[in-house]
Amino acid sequence: MSDEAEKNVEMWKVKKLIKSLQNARGNGTSMISLVIPPKGQISIIQKMLTDEYGTASNIKSRVNRLSVLSAITSTQQKLKLYSNVPKNGLVVYCGEVLTDEGKEKKLTIAFEPFKPINTSLYLCDNKFHVEALSELLESDDRFGFIVMDGNGALFGALSGNTREILHKFTVDLPKKHGRGGQSALRFSRLRDEKRHNYVRKVAEVAVQNFITNDKVNVKGLILAGSADFKTELSKSEMFDLRLQQKIIKIVDISYGGENGFNQAIELSAETLSNVKFIQEKKLITQYFDEISIDSGKFCYGIDDTLKALDLGACEIIIVWEGLEEVRYTLKNTEGSEVIKIVKPGTPKEDYLIDKDGSELEIVSDQPFLEWLAENYKNYGATVEFVTDRSSEGAQFCKGFGGIGALLRYKVNFEQLMSDDDDDEYFSD
Amino acid sequence: MSDHNKQPDNQANKFDPNQLAQGVQNVNLNAPAFDPSAANTFVPNMNFQQFVPQFDPNQQQQQQYNNNYNNNYNTNYNNNYNNNYNNNYNNNYNNNNNRRGGYNNNYNNRNNYNNNYNNNNYNNNNYNNNYNNNYNNNYNNQAQEEPVAQNLNFDEFQKQQQEKVNATPKKKVLKLNLKSSTVKLAVKKKEEPKEETKEETKEETPKDESPKEEVKEAVKEETPKVEAKKSESKPSTKESTPVSSAPISKSQSVIAEQEDIIDPSVVSDMFGGKDHVSIIFMGHVDAGKSTMGGNILFLTGAVDKRTVEKYEREAKDAGRQGWYLSWIMDTNKEERNDGKTIEVGKSYFETDKRRYTILDAPGHKLYVSEMIGGASQADIGVLVISARKGEYEAGFERGGQSREHAILAKTQGVNKLVVVINKMDDPTVGWSEERYNECISKLSLFLRGVGYAKEDVVFMPVSGFTGAGLKDRVPKKDCPWYTGPSLLEYLDNMPLSQRKINDPFMLPISGKMKDLGTVIEGKIESGHIKKGSSLIMMPNKVSVEVLTIYNETESEAESAFCGEQVRLRLKNVEEEDVSTGYVLSSISHPVHTVTRFEAQVAIVELKSILSSGFSCVMHVHTAIEEVNFVQLLHKLEKGTNRKSKKAPAFAKQGMKIIAILETSEPVCLETYEDYQQLGRFTLRDQGQTIAIGKVTKLLN
Repeated sequence: MSDEAEKNVEMWKVKKLIKSLQNARGNGTSMISLVIPPKGQISIIQKMLTDEYGTASNIKSRVNRLSVLSAITSTQQKLKLYSNVPKNGLVVYCGEVLTDEGKEKKLTIAFEPFKPINTSLYLCDNKFHVEALSELLESDDRFGFIVMDGNGALFGALSGNTREILHKFTVDLPKKHGRGGQSALRFSRLRDEKRHNYVRKVAEVAVQNFITNDKVNVKGLILAGSADFKTELSKSEMFDLRLQQKIIKIVDISYGGENGFNQAIELSAETLSNVKFIQEKKLITQYFDEISIDSGKFCYGIDDTLKALDLGACEIIIVWEGLEEVRYTLKNTEGSEVIKIVKPGTPKEDYLIDKDGSELEIVSDQPFLEWLAENYKNYGATVEFVTDRSSEGAQFCKGFGGIGALLRYKVNFEQLMSDDDDDEYFSD
Repeated sequence: MSDHNKQPDNQANKFDPNQLAQGVQNVNLNAPAFDPSAANTFVPNMNFQQFVPQFDPNQQQQQQYNNNYNNNYNTNYNNNYNNNYNNNYNNNYNNNNNRRGGYNNNYNNRNNYNNNYNNNNYNNNNYNNNYNNNYNNNYNNQAQEEPVAQNLNFDEFQKQQQEKVNATPKKKVLKLNLKSSTVKLAVKKKEEPKEETKEETKEETPKDESPKEEVKEAVKEETPKVEAKKSESKPSTKESTPVSSAPISKSQSVIAEQEDIIDPSVVSDMFGGKDHVSIIFMGHVDAGKSTMGGNILFLTGAVDKRTVEKYEREAKDAGRQGWYLSWIMDTNKEERNDGKTIEVGKSYFETDKRRYTILDAPGHKLYVSEMIGGASQADIGVLVISARKGEYEAGFERGGQSREHAILAKTQGVNKLVVVINKMDDPTVGWSEERYNECISKLSLFLRGVGYAKEDVVFMPVSGFTGAGLKDRVPKKDCPWYTGPSLLEYLDNMPLSQRKINDPFMLPISGKMKDLGTVIEGKIESGHIKKGSSLIMMPNKVSVEVLTIYNETESEAESAFCGEQVRLRLKNVEEEDVSTGYVLSSISHPVHTVTRFEAQVAIVELKSILSSGFSCVMHVHTAIEEVNFVQLLHKLEKGTNRKSKKAPAFAKQGMKIIAILETSEPVCLETYEDYQQLGRFTLRDQGQTIAIGKVTKLLN
């Protein structure tokens, strides 16, 4: 579990890094992205870099030439720190980045990814290339979903903790006829024809979505639907044989569309138990269950969670990866330090004024998440990062402030025992 | 409950002579003077002609008097109608007033009152009465054109309604009506000039319109009184006992109770003669809904014998021998093969008194969403419960559809429920009274919990397959312990809720098709339309014109009224631009469309918790939309419904909250206060009904 959790934290860090690298822009083609797969050789790369250095010295533009040359040199220096390539490979980013203020800042990053990276890449561009890394994050198995009911069909995919809708269309099928009448036969024939066409269309769109380059691009396929369509589809000859073989589950759902997609994911949770998305859902559901039975072994909101953290009561901290709060270390006039966690956008007066009215001095600031990722071990807790892509995740973010914890034992928070019931309600 | 059960009996058989006298008056006086269509509506009362001789002198007197005074049969006719109507009306009115301790009014209550309750005074008072009313009406007739007089009558009638409603504001049912009638008055004012001109051109039709209504009204209004009398003064000696004040006051309280059931104002169908009622069959899967529906169609002759025999043969060939009755309702191949309904089936039949549309809901868990759409179009719910061992339990335990359907029906506005205990003929049941009682004891408790008042629910044992208890009563030899009416008997006599004929037109679209143009389907929730009227379709704001109206029987009609299931062929809109859940409404009063609204939500069943960010599926009228909880505002205290000051972080099962909800697409909504049918909704997620709610405020 803890290994798993550590890996999650690691992943989160990479994710954050990717985000910052993606936004970085530099001069000309001075941004070097270098990915060395496991078992690659440093010396070969070094040689290549030397060659590159030679080529780059022919660049006409002086500014560009200088920055490219210096970037290559930095990369070489960085590589010298490694005697051999680590077992998961090595990723190096190097270049001069334009900061917000328009200044240039030298950036050199080298790290070992959290799992083997099987790409070899050397690129000079005006931006960093992080596709290989993002792929790494999403390289969990990908599962396809076909949700079809009488109103339309939805094609979706689930991989890692992302859930995407690939395609969606609606259809108008004739409803059950009110009364038989003389046209009953004709009506039912027309109806059958329309239904048949619908199944055909779904089968065709499925091929477009789940087969690329004549290969199935998902590991498994889940069919969901409310009436008989899904079974009809799975048995139909029109449905591509390659896809047919990939069907791992057929589930019954009560609605089509997105809600149906969610339900289909829920219902196939067992089959997909090793997918991150499902794990995330499970975790939050567990947390919600704790709340619904009112066991007291939970907390939410930054304040309560930090209190529980200080008490050492946190078992698992669940935190939304998009949490933006910043952790300020402030110093007052007497020299003692105060820590405040502030939402970005709050006016400075709110947190920079001490109780006695004197101004506080900012010693350091750090995104709260980073602090948490660095320090959670000191409190004996594990941290789980979640997204807001699942419906549970969305609730967790919006309804509980994006942070909460499962506790080891019951903790009474002061604000929970606050005013009695009568005061809690309006008198009308 | 038993009182309620017996009510139709009273109406039919044990009519009090006092009331009879009135009925007879009407019939006698009017039959010769008036056109047959009016007489038609009177069919039930024709029974009482046997009493005529008794009251002949009186009648004669009246007639003479009227004749003398007016020399005009027609006006006479009208007046008498009004007169009678007023009599009855005032009686009730008076009762209420007395109960509530004084209310000054300018109706001649005393006379009317005695008129009905005191046999001795009968002649004189009636005489006076006639005199007064005739005089007034004649005056009107002479001074103004006829149609105007009609309008006046109608107005008067409505005013009375309103006042009556006002007089009893504490009744729940009435309270709701109060709102609608206020709305109506406002609308009425606006529409009046238009209508007048219309009516002038069609003088013939409106002429019989209002009298007819009033006659009906009279009949309806009589019922509580008979009931009251019966229960209080044991009317074996009904004729002779001059009712003293003590029993009156007692009967008043009973009347007050009865008013929950009998709607104060049944503004019935104008042209059709018979009321139209939509009933929905619901219940757990395999409870026998379709079979029962099929059998009713067969018994009432809506499906001929040959067809049924054909089905019987085919079913036998398909290896489903006992299923042929359900094949009448289940027309799809898939449905027949699996023996379960998938889509809501719709069918039509009529009895001597009313026209019915049967909606046959699927019982299977997966198709609950279909069922909700059907329930939103129904007036009366028939909850089919299987008495067979094991089946009853399965349907009723947690997650069973008997439960869920009852809740859903209630939230979709089906306020009257007939619970039929089906399969009483099954070998494991054998018409056992014990089993029946076992079934209904738990059910009644549960239904009360759902919010059905005791008098809104009635239980009866039937067998959908053999047909016992459907059209005819259960044979005595099978079931000596049940003496109540059969299903159709009960439905025929069930008082209907008020129809809002003059409200702005509103029709939520439940289905559409392409048939020489765009055809849409739905139940008219309020108002009426005529061929050629222009409407607006919300939420995409397309103005359309009605080309053709098809009623339940698939035949073309000139106009349609509130409560009817219709199909409309529309001009100016493509079939692709329509979808179920859209609402057709009058141009002057378009329905509101929103994507954000505030609502009160009661959470019925939820495994864990919900907080803002929670998304689920909302059913409102016929629309199905995905919604998202944007913000939870307050929670409501249990019992008192007071709002909490602090917003709750989450909500769990059993809680009531006020929250802001958001849909991705615009939906037609009204606040619950303004318009119930478009203001209540159901939330479902993961194939489960998690919450019910009502719209309290429309945002954006």
